[in-house]
Amino acid sequence: MNKAEKACEELRAMDELAAMDSPVHGMDPLSKLLLTVFYIFVTVSFNKYDITGLFFMILFLVVAYQIAGIAVHTCFHKLRIVMPLVCAVGLFNPIFDKEIMAYIGSVGISGGVISMLTLMMKGIFCLMASFLLVATTSIEDICRALRKLHFPKMITSLLLLTFRYISVLLEEVAIMTEAYHLRAPGQKGIHISAWGSFLGQLLLRSMDRAEALYESMELRGFYGEFYYVKGRKANSLSWPAAFVYAALIMLTRLYNISDLLGSLFV
Amino acid sequence: MIKFENVSFSYGEHVVLDGVSFEIKAGEQVGLIGANGAGKSTIMKAALGLINCDGEITIDGMAMERENLSSIRQKLGYVLQDSDNQMFMPTVLEDMIFGPINYGMSRKDAESVAEETLKQLDLEYLKNRHNHKISGGEKRMAAIATILAMKPEAVLMDEPSTALDPQNRRTLINTLNELTVTKIIASHDLDLILDTCDRVLLLSDGKIAADGPANDILYDRTLLEGNHLELPLCLAGGTYKRLKTV
Repeated sequence: MNKAEKACEELRAMDELAAMDSPVHGMDPLSKLLLTVFYIFVTVSFNKYDITGLFFMILFLVVAYQIAGIAVHTCFHKLRIVMPLVCAVGLFNPIFDKEIMAYIGSVGISGGVISMLTLMMKGIFCLMASFLLVATTSIEDICRALRKLHFPKMITSLLLLTFRYISVLLEEVAIMTEAYHLRAPGQKGIHISAWGSFLGQLLLRSMDRAEALYESMELRGFYGEFYYVKGRKANSLSWPAAFVYAALIMLTRLYNISDLLGSLFV
Repeated sequence: MIKFENVSFSYGEHVVLDGVSFEIKAGEQVGLIGANGAGKSTIMKAALGLINCDGEITIDGMAMERENLSSIRQKLGYVLQDSDNQMFMPTVLEDMIFGPINYGMSRKDAESVAEETLKQLDLEYLKNRHNHKISGGEKRMAAIATILAMKPEAVLMDEPSTALDPQNRRTLINTLNELTVTKIIASHDLDLILDTCDRVLLLSDGKIAADGPANDILYDRTLLEGNHLELPLCLAGGTYKRLKTV
C-alpha cells in the first residue's frame, strides 16, 4: 500500500468513526458543533499563566472521548503531523519571558515556560475537541448544522465537496503512483522529470472525477441543501446534555478547581 | 417519454452526435449499442441535461430547459459507467436514501424503499456496509440499487454489466426484466442487450445507423460487423473463432 492509499484509508476511517453508535454520536449535530465552539472559546480565553485552571479542561475531553468510545490515542495518531506544529507555537516564550513565577521545590519556573505550556495545552485541547466533533459527526451532518446557523449554501457545499475532493485526489494519486512504480521499479518516489506531467495529469483526472461525482449528486436531487440529513434521529437528551456540559465548562472557567481542591487540604 | 429531434453535439472539432433523432415510448426497453466513441454515453448525458446540445430534447413532454431539469432528473435514473463516481456516501444505505430524501421523501420512507430494493436485488447484506469496503461487483449492484430506490420512470444504464460476475450479471438481467419502467441500456455486452431489450438503436460515428427490433439488429452479422461490432456470443455459435486454443 503506497502513502496515498494509506492517507485515503485514514480519511475513510474518519467516516467509519463518524458512523459508530454512541450517545455522543447520537447527539444533535448542531448541539455538538456549538458545544465544541464554546469549549474552544473558553479554552482559548484562559490567561496565559493560568495553567492550573486550564489543566482541568482536559477532563471534559477525556469524559467525552470515553462516552464516544473513541480512544484518545486515535486522536493523537491521526493528528500526529499537526500536533507538533501546535506545540511549537510557544516554543520561544521561555527566551523572552524569564521572570520567575513559581517554584517546584527549589527550581524556579519562569513565566515563559508556563505560558509555553499553557499555549501548548490550549492548542492540543482545541485540536482534540475539533477531532472529537469530526470523529462523531459526518461531514454532511456538520454541513447541515452550519446551514441551520444560516451559513451560505455556497460555503457549506464547498466544504462538503472539498472533503470529498480530497479523497478523490488521494485515490487518483494512489492509482497514478502505483502505475508509475510498476513501470519504474526500484525508484524512490517520482523522478523530478516526471513531476510536471504527473501533476498535470493528476489535476485533470481528479477534476474529471470530481465533476462526475458532482453530476451524480445533482442527478439525485442535490442542489446545495442537505435534506438527506434532516430526518436523522438525534438523541432527545442531546440539547439538555449539551447545556449541562456547557455550564460545567463555564464553571471550570469561572472557578479555579485546582485552587478549590488545594484549599481543602491547606 | 424521451424524444430527440435533430440533436447534435461536438467537443470542439470532434462531432459526437450528428443530427440524432429518435423517440422512446414509455415502457420500452431500448439497447444503445455501438463501437467505442459512437456516442452512447453522450446520448444519455444529453437526455439528463448534463451537456448542452443543439436540437430539441423532450422528456415526458418537458423541454430540456433549466427550470425543468429537476423534474426531468427525478423521472430519469442514471447508472453511471464508473460506480466509484456514483457511490459517494459512506455506506450503501446512506447512498440509497440520498436521492429519495432530496426529492422530498421522509427518511423513514426512504429507508423502507431502500430496504425493499436491496431485498429485490438480494443485496440485503450490503445495507450497512461501507462503500469503500465492498468489491467492484457489489459496488456495481449497489449503484444500480441506489437508482432503483429513486423509483424513476425510466432507467438509463451505462455499461451496467461491467465488473459483474456471471451470477450477479444474471441477477441484474432478471431484475431488469422484472422492471416495468422504461429502460435504456448502453452496453457492449450484446448478450445482455439481447436478453433485456426489445428495441435496439445502433450508433455509428454519432449517427443512428439502425433502429429496430433487437432480434433483427442483433442477428444481422453484416450490419453489426459493418459498424465495428460482432454478433452476441450466444448467437455466434460455431462461427465464433477462439483466439487462443488450449
